[in-house]
Amino acid sequence: MPTPFEVQSTNNETRLIIRGSLDINSAPALAEEIDRITASRPARVVVDLAQLDLIDSSGVAALVKLYKGIRSAGGEISISGARDQPLAIFKLLRMDKVFNL
Amino acid sequence: MGAPIRLTVPGTLRYRAIAVRTVAEAARLVSASARVDPKDPLANDVRHPFDTAIVSAFMEIFNNVAIHAYQRREGGTIELSITPSDRELVIELRDNGRPFDIDRVEPLPSDLDDDSLPEGGMGIHIAKTMLDEMTYEPGPPNLWRLCKRLSTQPVATGAGRS
Repeated sequence: MPTPFEVQSTNNETRLIIRGSLDINSAPALAEEIDRITASRPARVVVDLAQLDLIDSSGVAALVKLYKGIRSAGGEISISGARDQPLAIFKLLRMDKVFNL
Repeated sequence: MGAPIRLTVPGTLRYRAIAVRTVAEAARLVSASARVDPKDPLANDVRHPFDTAIVSAFMEIFNNVAIHAYQRREGGTIELSITPSDRELVIELRDNGRPFDIDRVEPLPSDLDDDSLPEGGMGIHIAKTMLDEMTYEPGPPNLWRLCKRLSTQPVATGAGRS
């Protein structure tokens, strides 16, 4: 079974791949990873949601925290690949425009 | 309308996935959406707009009961009554935890930018917007009633909702 999230770092970019369900049960573990990513002050972060099937408000909150953390430290962040239920949630919350989905 | 599907689960987040899967299956009875991967019966293939709406709303309300009504403690139960029909799905959740003050839920900021992106308080907003009807009666038992009707309108685009 694939892990729910994976971080791939190169010199230029940190890539965060999130799979399956990002919800109130899985978000706390991701939040720890997000703290580590933010603390490393990467120049560019790419969040890949192509394999994300479900998200709830806790999962959205974790992504917002990452987005704000990277941007406030002067880094770039892009969120891509959202589809189906997660995309519907971002649209409902009108975050699709902010995240440029 | 047939007899409701009844399921009682402990009121903690550990049992959330069981309840969510049950609701997703009941949603498919109404939307008749096919599974995306028939080889994986446990895949989270919530893709039809109807399934998306009711599952999204249900996840938020289940979270709310486990966190606010039962304060993340064990010992309580959530009684689910799930009634699928040709054109709609009605879900009732009953709990015996603390009543929730739904009137104190603040609306989302009207203009979102980097500073105003919310990091909380989105759950009830998601549930309410995804559904055609949502009511809450403080108890005991507290009762959430969620209703979604099958429609040709897309969900979560902001169009066609009253």
